[in-house]
Amino acid sequence: MIPLLVTAGYRPAGRRWRRLYIPVPLVVLVLSPLLLLAVIGGLIACRIIFDLRPIGALRGAGQLLWALPGTRVEIADGQMDLLLRVR
Amino acid sequence: MNEQARQILAMLAEGKITADEAERLIDAVDRQELASPAGAEPRAKRRPKYLRVVLEDNSEEAPSHINVRVPLQLLRAGVRLTSLIPPRALTQLNAKLDESGVPVDLTQLRPQDIEELVDQLDDVTVDVDDPTSKIRVFCE
Repeated sequence: MIPLLVTAGYRPAGRRWRRLYIPVPLVVLVLSPLLLLAVIGGLIACRIIFDLRPIGALRGAGQLLWALPGTRVEIADGQMDLLLRVR
Repeated sequence: MNEQARQILAMLAEGKITADEAERLIDAVDRQELASPAGAEPRAKRRPKYLRVVLEDNSEEAPSHINVRVPLQLLRAGVRLTSLIPPRALTQLNAKLDESGVPVDLTQLRPQDIEELVDQLDDVTVDVDDPTSKIRVFCE
């Protein structure tokens, strides 16, 4: 399943959490024309610049995207707390 | 009739328990058998889905806490991406690694091998205990 919601947040020392919720399907839908161009550009770059198999690269990127849900990164040090969660 | 029910009836026949008690006991035995049918396989061990890295630094000057959870599937997908690296790039990487004193031949590293390695991560647990910090790497 592709990521549905990405939560990014940070909290400066002694302050409240600031969180940004990104609904991925909605963003993909809104940006789909640009994404299509970006994908085509990426595939051409794979072939010409990086000498990679475009279909393989596309499949690999898709598998990465599909595997992202469940990822969670939390970093807390004295100065700032950071949070990244993919659901 | 199983052994437990036979024992209950024997106790009833000897007058150690009443008929009501025997009935209740037999009901309890039946419920127990329904919950765990004879010959049923023990539940398979749940396969871990995530790799967790937890770092706790309790040093005086800058205490910090890092908690990372990565799906093992993501590692597998990343490993599959390595098969896309063109041989020319691998040769250049090998040369650079050799120059840096790391004589590793990356062309011998096949994605299947790395994938097998990721599969075996299930049982890996790394615990590092230090007076000021603690690191744990494990799968859950």
